[in-house]
Amino acid sequence: MANLQVEICGVKFKNPVIAASGTFGFGREYNLLYDISVLGGVSTKGTTIEPRPGNPVPRIAEGSSVILNSVGLQNPGVEHFIKEDLPFLKSKGVVIIANVAGKTLEDYGNICARLNGIADMIELNISCPNVHAGGMALGIKPQNIYEVTKLAKANLTKTPLIVKLSPNVESIPSNARAAEEGGADCISLINTFTGMVIDIERRKPILANNTGGVSGAGIKPIALRMVYEAAHAVKIPVIGMGGITCAEDAIEFMMAGARAVQVGTANFTNGNSMPEIISGMDRWLNNHGIKDVNQIVDVLTLN
Amino acid sequence: MKDLLATVKANKRIAQNIYMITLTLPEEVGAMHGGQFVNLSTGNGAHLLRRPLGVCMAEGNEVSVCYQVKGNGTKYLTTVEAGRKLRVLLPCGNWFDLDDYKNIAVIGGGVGIFPLVATIREHFQTKNFYSYIGFRNIDAVCLYNELAKSKRLTITTDDGSYGQKGNAVSAYLEDAANVPADAIISCGPPVMLKVLKQKLKEQGIKTPCFVSLEERMGCGMGACLVCVCKTEDGGNARVCRDGPVFNIDEVQL
Repeated sequence: MANLQVEICGVKFKNPVIAASGTFGFGREYNLLYDISVLGGVSTKGTTIEPRPGNPVPRIAEGSSVILNSVGLQNPGVEHFIKEDLPFLKSKGVVIIANVAGKTLEDYGNICARLNGIADMIELNISCPNVHAGGMALGIKPQNIYEVTKLAKANLTKTPLIVKLSPNVESIPSNARAAEEGGADCISLINTFTGMVIDIERRKPILANNTGGVSGAGIKPIALRMVYEAAHAVKIPVIGMGGITCAEDAIEFMMAGARAVQVGTANFTNGNSMPEIISGMDRWLNNHGIKDVNQIVDVLTLN
Repeated sequence: MKDLLATVKANKRIAQNIYMITLTLPEEVGAMHGGQFVNLSTGNGAHLLRRPLGVCMAEGNEVSVCYQVKGNGTKYLTTVEAGRKLRVLLPCGNWFDLDDYKNIAVIGGGVGIFPLVATIREHFQTKNFYSYIGFRNIDAVCLYNELAKSKRLTITTDDGSYGQKGNAVSAYLEDAANVPADAIISCGPPVMLKVLKQKLKEQGIKTPCFVSLEERMGCGMGACLVCVCKTEDGGNARVCRDGPVFNIDEVQL
């Protein structure tokens, strides 16, 4: 068996496979399928200070090899998370990454302060395409990213900060550097692309919100390029995601420079995706005589 | 609940645009009840979402579900031949829990009839079903022998080409006084359920009524919060996990 353990910002993951925010709730449901303690970590459903009802339905649609979602950050609020969900995740021994969002800069500061020292890591969601205020608005321009990161970091004296980047931007390297300069300890990317699917009979978008976030296997090549760009623009660690469905996909992201990966949409297609990716990575490493997964990070040689 | 690779045993057309697919499961998953559903892959790798389909028949390690050919996914599903393996999550959701009831009025429309068929099959030997089943026209009529396990069966079609002309809700309401129902179960198009809720209220029918809802789904197990419906208290319920069966008084339709 190869070593699958990775360490990011001083936090030890038993393997580099993390459930991506929004596809996995707080882990309870998937724990009925398999013991989620096999995972490296769980990035929680995007959590806000107050509970949010989310968007109208339909909230999901499909394109070729992609899906679109527009949940709109429905969540029970941070206090409910701390009381009801955090103890469960703690009992599972996975790295708990609290994905947090807000409407205003102040919201981001407040929720970080509340979770400081409570979650293992904080993932700042400044890239959600499905909320009209905050969310992605703060995640497009480098100056905004710098400011929200700086404020979050000021409130996180005990917990490492991950900033999750949007792909709907002009320059990934500039935005990655803005997060780093703002004090981010780590970057994760990519969030979803903004997209649309139309019902031609009704002449209307399928999603009630008209647009939604595009994810899934079909976005992988673009995500991989962006992860490569980010990883080579900053010195802080990068967590890669976007369309990972199998061990080989995860290995591509790590070779592009990611120190760990997140898996989202694949959980819908196959509920056992993540355990299968973990065992598949181990198999691949063994077959290639590689003793430690860290040895495949950032090993790409460009043509 | 398990996520398995099932083998397609049969996949055949049973009415216009309606197919029944039977899966052989590699292991037992326990009892499956009418109202529960399976989240089934179309078999095409480009379709990342599985299709939630109500259990229609379940015996041992075999389960049959029916689907209407509507979009790319279901169109592809019709081409899947026996022997193919499809990924499936099952059993999902709650079911029509009839433990406290003996005489049940069944109101079904279109593809909503399949969870009702499963419920009738499950309980017809110990309970009495008074069924009102609506189809678009004669070409859509299917599973008659299963529906006929009801103590009384009324079939309606929109155009009168089979059975009574009209719809299932009206047929039940006309008959309600003669049906000794201590519960009503229903599944069908959203507009049908909406009318049912309205009419039960208008006519002061207090019989407990349970409806099975449909919504576009993601994970199928309650994690992703995609398939919510509004509850009467203003909150959200997850159709896939808190439902798909709800007391009609508790959800906004």
